[in-house]
Amino acid sequence: MIEFDEKERRMVLKLVYYGPALSGKTTNLLQLHDLLTRQGRGELMVLDTSGDRTIYFDLLPFFLTAPSGLKIKVKVYTVPGQVCHDATRKAVLQRADGVVFVADSNRAEAGSNVASFDNLERNLSLVGLDIDSIPLVIQFNKRDLPAAVPEEEIRTTWDPTGIPVVLASALNGHGVAETFALVAGLVYDRIDARFALAAKHGLTRERFVAKLTSLKEEP
Amino acid sequence: MSADTLHFVVGEEKKVRELLLDADVLPLLKGALAAGASCARVTGDDGEELWGACSPAGRGGLLRSLPLMLEGEPVAHLELFGAPEMRERLEPLASLLIVALDTVLRNSLKRVLTTEIHTSVVNSSHEELVAMNAELARSEARYRELAENLELRVKERTAELRRAQAHLLQQEKMAAVGQLAAGVAHEINNPLGFITSNLHTLQKYVARFCAMLQFYREHLELEQPRERLVTEAETKWRELKLPHVMADVGDLMAQSLAGAERVSRIVADLKGFSHVDESGESVVDLNQELERTLTLLSHQLAGRAEIVKELQPLPEVKCQGQLPGQIFLNLIQNALTHAGASPRITLSSCFDGERIRISIADNGPGIPAALRGQIFDPFFTTLPVGSGTGMGLAVVWEAVLKLQGTVAVADAPGGGADFIITIPAGRN
Ligand SMILES: Nc1nc2c(ncn2[C@@H]2O[C@H](COP(=O)(O)OP(=O)(O)OP(=O)(O)O)[C@@H](O)[C@H]2O)c(=O)[nH]1
Ligand SMILES: [Mg+2]
Repeated sequence: MIEFDEKERRMVLKLVYYGPALSGKTTNLLQLHDLLTRQGRGELMVLDTSGDRTIYFDLLPFFLTAPSGLKIKVKVYTVPGQVCHDATRKAVLQRADGVVFVADSNRAEAGSNVASFDNLERNLSLVGLDIDSIPLVIQFNKRDLPAAVPEEEIRTTWDPTGIPVVLASALNGHGVAETFALVAGLVYDRIDARFALAAKHGLTRERFVAKLTSLKEEP
Repeated sequence: MSADTLHFVVGEEKKVRELLLDADVLPLLKGALAAGASCARVTGDDGEELWGACSPAGRGGLLRSLPLMLEGEPVAHLELFGAPEMRERLEPLASLLIVALDTVLRNSLKRVLTTEIHTSVVNSSHEELVAMNAELARSEARYRELAENLELRVKERTAELRRAQAHLLQQEKMAAVGQLAAGVAHEINNPLGFITSNLHTLQKYVARFCAMLQFYREHLELEQPRERLVTEAETKWRELKLPHVMADVGDLMAQSLAGAERVSRIVADLKGFSHVDESGESVVDLNQELERTLTLLSHQLAGRAEIVKELQPLPEVKCQGQLPGQIFLNLIQNALTHAGASPRITLSSCFDGERIRISIADNGPGIPAALRGQIFDPFFTTLPVGSGTGMGLAVVWEAVLKLQGTVAVADAPGGGADFIITIPAGRN
C-alpha cells in the first residue's frame, strides 16, 4: 500500500501486472480501459515506449469512495517485461498490494515464463514482499494462439500451488476483466482484514470489486 | 538500499498544485476574462482558491463549475463567474478550459512520473553500480591474495621442478658414465681374460718344471752313471714336453705383461677422465681430455666409426676436471646415436687468442633449424619415447655453462650436425 492517511481518509492501493516481455501486460490495461465504464476510472497513462515495448510502465488509475467517505485510489501498473529493465520492475513493484502475472501461452515462451516468475519472486523479496502472502493471480494469455500450451498442462502445473489461474486472450478482451476482478477481490480480503473496510467503512467485497470492474453498457 | 539516497515509491500521490504551474493556468483564466467572464478561478477540493483572475468590476454570479480530474479523482474545480446573460457564451468556454487544463495536467503528470521513475532507476542503478564496485573491490582483493598465493605456489613448483631436473641431470651423467663403464669393463676384461688364461697355462708349466727338477734331485742322489742319467733325463724332458713349454713361456709372459700394462693404462685414463683424485679446480688441456674420452670409447668406436681429428694446440684451461669429459662424452655418444650406419665423427679444435673453439661434427641427418632452440632443453629428444631421457644435451649445456662458454649447433659441411663449443681462455 502506497498510502493510508487516517486523517485525510485516503488509501492508495497498487496492483502490478508482471510477466515476460510481450506477454500482453500492456494489452490487458488497454483492454481494461476500453471495457470498463468511465465512471471512477482515470485515463490510461502510457509512459514513453520504444516501439510498443514498455520502457517505464503503464498506469491505469481508479478512484472510488467508500460509504464512510474513505477515498480509495487503485493504481494499476504494468512493468516492462524485457530482461534489461529490471531496475524499473523493482521500482514499480515496491509496496505493491497485488500482482497479476501475465504468462504467455505460446509453448515457445515457456522458458521466458519461468525466468520471469523467478525474477518476480526474487524482486518481491528484494522489495520486502512475500510471494506466498501477496495477492497473486496468474493469467495465461494468448489462448487464441494455435501453439498454446493445453489447459490441462497448465492446471497440472499450477493448481497444486493454490495460485488462481485465469485463461485469457487479452487481444480479444477475453479473461481481462475476470483477471482484474479476481485480483481485486484478493486484495480486498487482505485490506479488509487490516482496515475493516466492510465493518468500519461500509465497503463490501462485492461493492469494491463491482466498482472497479463495472463494464460499460453496450451501446 | 542506503538511507541517504533519494528514495521514492512509484505511485506516490501528486498534488494538483505540484503538477500545474501558474504559467499553465493563469493565461487560460485571463483568456476567460477577455471572453467576457468577470472572474475565473480554480479551487482545491477543500474550496480554497488555487488560481484566480477577476476583473475589478466585481465577481458576479457563478455560472459554471466543472471538476478537474486527476487519475479519476476530482481534485479541483474550475469556476466561471459573470453576468447571467453571459452564461450561454461562457458555458462552452468552461468546457473548453477544462479540456485544456486536463490536457496540461495529464502531460505534466506524465512528465513527472517519467522523471521520477527515470531518476529512481538511475539511482538504483547507481546504487547497484556502487554495490557492484564494492563487490568487485572485494573480489579483486581476493584475486590479489590468490595471485600472491599463486606466485608462491609457482615458486614452489618451480623449485620442485628444478630439483627434479637436477636429479635427472645427475641420472643422465650417471647413465653416460654407466655406458662408459660398460665399454671400459669390456676393455679391461679382454686383457684380464688372457692374463688369467695365461696364468692357468703357466701354472701347468710350472708344475712340469717342478716335476723335472724333482727328477734331477732324486736321480742325483742315486749316483747312477752319468750316461744313464742323461738318457733318462732326456726321456723325462720329452715326456713333460718341456721344449714346447720353454718356447711358449716367453710369449705367455710377454703377453700377460702387455695385458697388465693395458689395464693399468685404462685405469689411468679413467682416473684422468673422471678426475677422481682431484678436488676443486685443476688445469686441463682440452685436446688431452678429448683424446682420453676417445680412448675410453675406443671399444664403442673401434671398427664402427671413423674418427677424424683436426686438433691444434690449445692453452690450458682451469676448471672442474670432470666437466670437459662430460661434454665430449655426451656429444660423441650423441653423434654415434644419430649418425646412422657408418658414422664419421670429425673432432677439431683451435684457439683464436681469446677463445677455444671445439667442434664435434657428425655425418648424420643434422638438426632442423626449427629444433635448434630446443635441443638443449631438458627432456628434449628426437628419439622415440623411452629410448632416451633427453637429458644428454642438457648435461652438455650445463657443463659448458660452468666453463663460462657457449654451445651451439650448426650444419656440418656435407650435412650432419656440428656442435660448436666456445670457451674463453685467458692468456694468464
Ligand atoms: N495472439 C495474441 N496476441 C496477443 C495477445 N495479447 C497480446 N498480444 C500481442 O502480443 C504483443 C505484445 O503485447 P504487449 O501488451 O505490448 O506486451 P507487454 O507484456 O506489455 O510487453 P513489454 O511491454 O515488452 O513487457 C502485441 O503484439 C500484442 O498484440 C493475445 O491474447 N493473443
Ligand atoms: Mg508493455
